[in-house]
Amino acid sequence: MSKLNPVLTLSLAALIFGCSKTDARRSDSPTGGTLIIAIPGDPIDLFPAFAGDQSGAAVRDLLFDRLALIGPDLGTFGDTGFTPQLAKSWTWSPDSMSIAFSIDPKARWHDGKSVTAADVKYSFRAFTDPKAASPVAPLLTNIDSVSVRDASTAVFFFKKRMPEQFYDVAYQLYIVPEHVYGKVPFDSLRTSDVTRTPVGSGRFRFVKWTPDVQMELIADTANYRGRPNLDHLFLTPPDPLTGATQILTGQADFMQAFPIDHISELDSSKVARGMAAPVSQYAFLGMNPYVAKSRREPHPIFGDVRVRRALSMAVDRTGMLQNVFGGLGKIGHGPFPMGQTASDSTIRLPSYDTAAAAAMLDSSGWKRGRDGMRSKNGRPLRFAMLVPFRSVPRMKYASLLQEQFHRIGALATIEQVDTKTYLERSIPRDDRAGDFDTVLNAFGPDPSVSGVKQNWATAGIGGPAGQNFMLYSNKTVDAAIDSAVASFDPVKAKAYARRAFQQIADDVPAIWLYDVIYVAGVNRRLVVPPLRMDGWAINLADWSIPVDKRIGRDSIGLAPPAKR
Amino acid sequence: MRRAFVARLWQSLIVVAVVTAISFLLIHAAPGDPFSYENSRISIAQRDQLRAEAGYDKPLPEQFVRYTWRLLHGRFGYSFPHHAYVSELLAATIPRTLALAGISLLLSFLLGMAVGVLQAARRDGWFDRISSSVLLVFYSLPDFWAALMAALVFAQWWHLLPASGMTDPMHDYMPFWRALGDRLSHFVLPCATLTLLTVAGIARYQRTAMLEVLPLDYVRVARAKGVPEKSIVWRHALRTALAPMITLLGVLFPALLGGSVFVEKVFQWPGMGLLAVSGIESRDYDVVTATVIVGSLMVIAGNLIADLLHAALDPRVRA
Repeated sequence: MSKLNPVLTLSLAALIFGCSKTDARRSDSPTGGTLIIAIPGDPIDLFPAFAGDQSGAAVRDLLFDRLALIGPDLGTFGDTGFTPQLAKSWTWSPDSMSIAFSIDPKARWHDGKSVTAADVKYSFRAFTDPKAASPVAPLLTNIDSVSVRDASTAVFFFKKRMPEQFYDVAYQLYIVPEHVYGKVPFDSLRTSDVTRTPVGSGRFRFVKWTPDVQMELIADTANYRGRPNLDHLFLTPPDPLTGATQILTGQADFMQAFPIDHISELDSSKVARGMAAPVSQYAFLGMNPYVAKSRREPHPIFGDVRVRRALSMAVDRTGMLQNVFGGLGKIGHGPFPMGQTASDSTIRLPSYDTAAAAAMLDSSGWKRGRDGMRSKNGRPLRFAMLVPFRSVPRMKYASLLQEQFHRIGALATIEQVDTKTYLERSIPRDDRAGDFDTVLNAFGPDPSVSGVKQNWATAGIGGPAGQNFMLYSNKTVDAAIDSAVASFDPVKAKAYARRAFQQIADDVPAIWLYDVIYVAGVNRRLVVPPLRMDGWAINLADWSIPVDKRIGRDSIGLAPPAKR
Repeated sequence: MRRAFVARLWQSLIVVAVVTAISFLLIHAAPGDPFSYENSRISIAQRDQLRAEAGYDKPLPEQFVRYTWRLLHGRFGYSFPHHAYVSELLAATIPRTLALAGISLLLSFLLGMAVGVLQAARRDGWFDRISSSVLLVFYSLPDFWAALMAALVFAQWWHLLPASGMTDPMHDYMPFWRALGDRLSHFVLPCATLTLLTVAGIARYQRTAMLEVLPLDYVRVARAKGVPEKSIVWRHALRTALAPMITLLGVLFPALLGGSVFVEKVFQWPGMGLLAVSGIESRDYDVVTATVIVGSLMVIAGNLIADLLHAALDPRVRA
């Protein structure tokens, strides 16, 4: 190899600058205090290979560590921005086909045993064995194998040299202890009691879980990354309105997603305040390219790109954003949330122009009748919008869209359904499209371009990693995304991604509405650094409560419960 | 009497079997299943794999036969969303629901009967009129709305009582007396809501029963003998007027169980009602069917006990 490849260059830079940040997170904040967190529901899974729901992911981030932590800018290229967690350092092989991770010798599991390279190898097996059926497995297919060089060095071997191979290991894989979980067959992990009492290496330790009531975590005071500032965490799963009441009355201290229609109560509260809680999600109105539950027959309305474009031009996206979110909203820029590596706010989207929208519908044969509504060959321009009624913003958007579609002669009805029905109908099955005309959906892709590939490339239709629920397919897009994923030049990668995004925007499979935002309800006595987009709980060990603001529950410390 | 009791038991078994079949079919007919949860990282192929592992890809009649077979062997199944056996979940939640419903029932009867007796004793007086109007208001309130209002006023506005849960998260760390106070304070709102919603019906029943008894000859004789009015009402008339209330107990207990589903949801009381609601939301097949079966068993048991008590009190029924 005559010249150093970009990945190696980036990794060297990370070794020099990134690895020196090990102690940077340790703060001078006062230790002590108890936090009651209102989570959106009981965690569905506590084993990191399965945890993907909001509550499960938060608990996973508190109890378990990765080998390295992605930077706050969510850069996925090489190892730039990554900081050490369980791996104290890492070394690329000269051909970049393997990376050796040296485990921090101070790292201990919560039961006191050392974290070893064998645990890393076991974790890879637990995440990728087909019997375990981890949703992460399809994202680790470029990793060929993991070997144990010595007790503290695990080596990852890759099938292909790719710009995101470090990210694949460091972001997707959480390290779990073999001596705890290894006794359970992979196909029993999901139902095993062992996974209900997790043992990790994170800065908080698991104490107790009473389903539907609460989960208790405690500071791991001897943690290799430093003691967390807080002593105790209690996670309770109230429904949103009860959670809001608890926040406003001081019974709970933190709620990531405060009900959007009650945010004004936070402004006037002396107990709690609102705080931006960024998430990596974007919401859109997807238009089914096929007749509902079919994959053979194009949709009589949305099979025509002119109609999709006209509907997109008929809606005032900025006005709706203001209406629903006030000053808090962030407009959607395309099939991605802003804040990710490939995000691009310059994608050209159909502009708001109702006259042009009406003209486009006229030219595509949808003519207005006496009642002002349009039809073509006797078929009215009428369709349904599938909406989960639990989502307040999406319900509000549905009403606003309905009104604006009506103005150009399209009759949209709103189908409000519960979450399970929504999921069942919005996700395609086997050779059938989803059971809807249009759907108000939200995607939360991984930070890499691969996330876009899963959602919008043809490869995402069916298959083990398939999440292309809108069944969108365009060969130009596929090629551009593949090029973006494979490019070692960040500038070129972004240009390829942009080409893909623009093509998707031009095909108008959806109307891009807004980037999902959460406003967290936070007790005023808490000092909380900016929340990370990849998980609000990731830096929770750095939150603190000033001594002069502490209340009764902050004094329970680390002592065991009272004996009665 | 014994023959009638055995016949009632057989009827009850048939009712349970029918209820099981209906609840099994209804929850399976609803869109979605335990594995269609909102985790966009789970691919379609993996969801199907999980469904197959749980046997949800089999034809519905086969699933029903398997479920019934398991049930006959005393196994209620497994809850995938809770990662626990349903029998464990029921063992944890039934006592909480029984405590809430039981204490509410007791308070409702004590309060309702007292009000009913006083209303009858002072028929058409100011107490009768005012209390009837007030109770009518409570009676006509939807249970979920009443629970929400109670939470809003006493928890959010006035900060007098906790908004939800059975105990404070810090309960285990409190000294004995504070822990007891904490448990009682969490009991107040859900229990008061259930009690107030039920008390009107009981008072009405008791009033009517008393009004039927008070004109009877033996009451007149007691009055003629100069027995004090208090003693006539509370000792002589009330004893006779209690019999219809026993029947009401059998009817009200199931109604209270139904009402506690809403109240448990609003106050996040972790009982069987909340378990059933979360089971329906997450399409937790085994949990939903099991809670319906247990609920129907409780209803049947309530009615049977009421019948037996009625028979014990009234010789005409025994004959």
